[in-house]
Amino acid sequence: MEELKMQTIRLRLKEEVMSGVAKIPVIVDALTPDKLFGKSEAEIKGVKIWWGNREENTGDLFEVSVEGDATSEAEVKIVMDGDLSRVKYIGAGMKAGEIEANGDVDMHCGAMMRGGKITVRGNADCWAGCEMHGGELIIEGDAGANLCAMYRGEMTGMTGGRVVVGGNVSECAGQYMAGGEILIKGNADILAGLNMKGGKITIEGDAIMPGADMTGGEILVKGKVEDMIPSFKFVETTTVDGEQYRKYIGDLAMTEKRAKGILYVK
Amino acid sequence: MVEELLIKNGVVYDPINGVKGEKKDICIRNGKIVEEVKNPKVIDAGGRVVMPGGVDIHAHIAGGKVNSGRLFRPEDGRKGLKAKTKLCRPESGYSVPNTFAVGYRYARMGYTFVMEPAMPPLAARHTHEELVDIPILDNAALPLIDNNWMTLEYVKSGDIDLLAAYIAWIIKATKGYGVKVVNPGGTEAWAWAKNCDLNDAVPYFDVTPADIVKGLAEANERFEMPHSIHVHGNMLGHPGNYEVTLKTYDLVKGITPYRDRPVLHSTHTQFFSYGGTTWRDFESKARAIADYVNANEHVSIDLGSVILGDTTTMTADGPMEYSLYQITGRKWTNHDVELETGSGITPFMYSGKVGVHTIQWAIGLELALLTRDPWKIALTSDHPNAGPFIGYPILISMLMSKKRRDESAEEMHSSIFDRTELPSIDREYDFYEIAIITRAMTARTLGLHEHGKGHLGVGADGDVAIYDISPEERDAGKIQKAFLNAKYTIKGGEIVVKDGEVVSTPEGRTFFVTPECDPKLTDEMMTKLKEMFTNYYSVSFANYPVQDAYVPNPYEIRAPWRS
Repeated sequence: MEELKMQTIRLRLKEEVMSGVAKIPVIVDALTPDKLFGKSEAEIKGVKIWWGNREENTGDLFEVSVEGDATSEAEVKIVMDGDLSRVKYIGAGMKAGEIEANGDVDMHCGAMMRGGKITVRGNADCWAGCEMHGGELIIEGDAGANLCAMYRGEMTGMTGGRVVVGGNVSECAGQYMAGGEILIKGNADILAGLNMKGGKITIEGDAIMPGADMTGGEILVKGKVEDMIPSFKFVETTTVDGEQYRKYIGDLAMTEKRAKGILYVK
Repeated sequence: MVEELLIKNGVVYDPINGVKGEKKDICIRNGKIVEEVKNPKVIDAGGRVVMPGGVDIHAHIAGGKVNSGRLFRPEDGRKGLKAKTKLCRPESGYSVPNTFAVGYRYARMGYTFVMEPAMPPLAARHTHEELVDIPILDNAALPLIDNNWMTLEYVKSGDIDLLAAYIAWIIKATKGYGVKVVNPGGTEAWAWAKNCDLNDAVPYFDVTPADIVKGLAEANERFEMPHSIHVHGNMLGHPGNYEVTLKTYDLVKGITPYRDRPVLHSTHTQFFSYGGTTWRDFESKARAIADYVNANEHVSIDLGSVILGDTTTMTADGPMEYSLYQITGRKWTNHDVELETGSGITPFMYSGKVGVHTIQWAIGLELALLTRDPWKIALTSDHPNAGPFIGYPILISMLMSKKRRDESAEEMHSSIFDRTELPSIDREYDFYEIAIITRAMTARTLGLHEHGKGHLGVGADGDVAIYDISPEERDAGKIQKAFLNAKYTIKGGEIVVKDGEVVSTPEGRTFFVTPECDPKLTDEMMTKLKEMFTNYYSVSFANYPVQDAYVPNPYEIRAPWRS
């Protein structure tokens, strides 16, 4: 059997970076496995990243260490430690490999990602997995608003990949979602699946007004639904994974012709 | 200190002075072209193409409409992001770029002057505020005059002299450059939820768009105006509208211009060259328009050529934007400017896989290729309506390369072969003709050649573009690349772009025209105008005119009354 090679790049945010009166955000979309693949430790330290309105060297903001070798992007794993609460765009646009973020992370984590895997061992702020096209995003804690949605003005949110949130999610999860899967183990705040046109959202907890304006895709709520949108039409009682659900189609507010969304409610 | 610059070894294309690809030195002293220099800084152009700074005759770059476009398209603002540098402010946007990006991007393409072609008079201050914010470019703006109630009433009563007095006043009050016409009568009718064809009566006023166009063309020629009336006619974007277009041209045929220039500039003519009766039998009528322009001297056109991809359409033609919105179902905004004009905005995607879009794309190029005399044509995309100005280099490469057009046609909808004649046209533009349609013709049509723009004769502004390309080059890709990022752009003798990067950001000047009207006529008109303000305007007469402070770098052109 061929030995699987693995390279681990450890990035620990230096304490002094977040010790100011205000925590100035650090933007790390330049630090993805595919972009760092093939770079030496010294080269990684020289990669330019933004700290507020200043461009800095990665080595000035992070303690960097590299272990092992990789023969492809997929074999690169980045482990991020330290206070990540103002670190934005973790794994944004990444294509392959793995990122593990130990702690709460700031906005746009995994936005526009195409492949690979991100694990957040904590909460993720707004816009996580926005316009995601592929790969896997695991958030062990809660997720902020607009999870897997589209950026303002765009007409398509998440199109592919898989997202798991261990805790609760805030407003408008999966807005304009067109593909892929989201599993929410906790509750979803108002308007999950707003304007959804494809893909699947499973909410194990409760949800408020799910599926408003949806024209496609599927939402399944295992807990209770508060303020059910009235413009959904009951179809039948059916069994999904051994449990009984009421199946609705909608949203008829988008005209009967376009109302192709499916909502399963207990 | 005397600032001198010498550009050596360039192959110069300066059509206004008949210079057709000659190896020639260009000398600049204190921002102006001179015969010779003594102790200059030297730029070796190394046999590359040298042209006067580009002059864009029609691009929506500033004002309320443009800013609404930016506000309501955050998804466009995401594109083209560029962080600030020590010298430059940040850039954002693609079809609705921020003011800084407008200046830098045009400068990188070798342009030094842009005309904002649709300034609602009541929003003139906003327009000028944005023009001030655009770095590098000299600029001017055309106020919308054709749907104003004053205009409509004078057209109705047939008082062309009083109409002239009104346009003189409004051009002065807005620090504008000339007369802009957008869907004459139709925009006013839109306030009544209607639209107007050329000979329909405008609700309440009971005049026709034909009367308005003719009246304004006559009134405009009462002065020594540098530019003709600038016309976006009726029925823009409707199948079969080419007949309306030709009838509009015919309206002004008998009018004598004050100098050797057309009496009507027909803008973004691509949108007015449509055959068929519906989108199903839609076809190109570029041949009919080009034949007319070939046979007549009183009309000039700009192309409004389509650049494929996503863009933001915006025009004072409110009813047209509504029709477009009904086709796409995308977002739409609508705006009414009291008793003056209106506007609408909606995003649009031009796709080479869609039959209608493919025909539209072909029409812009057909107009350029079928009109024999390039002095009658200006290169535009009606930025951002048919596509953003940053696509000009693509259009240039299409005009210069039959091969590129053929390759594109192969990948586009088959309607290009049976509804247009583009594939059968062999003509290719050369650098001299490109210089005409991107600077010489536009400067001359705007009358700016007499004010230092669009040429490299002694006394002209030291505005020069050096493109990193040999005059023999025919490769479309290389042509496009060279025109996107100039090797050098020099503005008023100062190097503003070097190797495609902005290296200096001087402030631009605003050109405006002061028509000088007979005082007796002005007095008579003023009585009615003040009544209009008292009765209908939301602002008072005294607060209306744009103060000098809004034009910090003014360049005034006087237009005397022709008695």
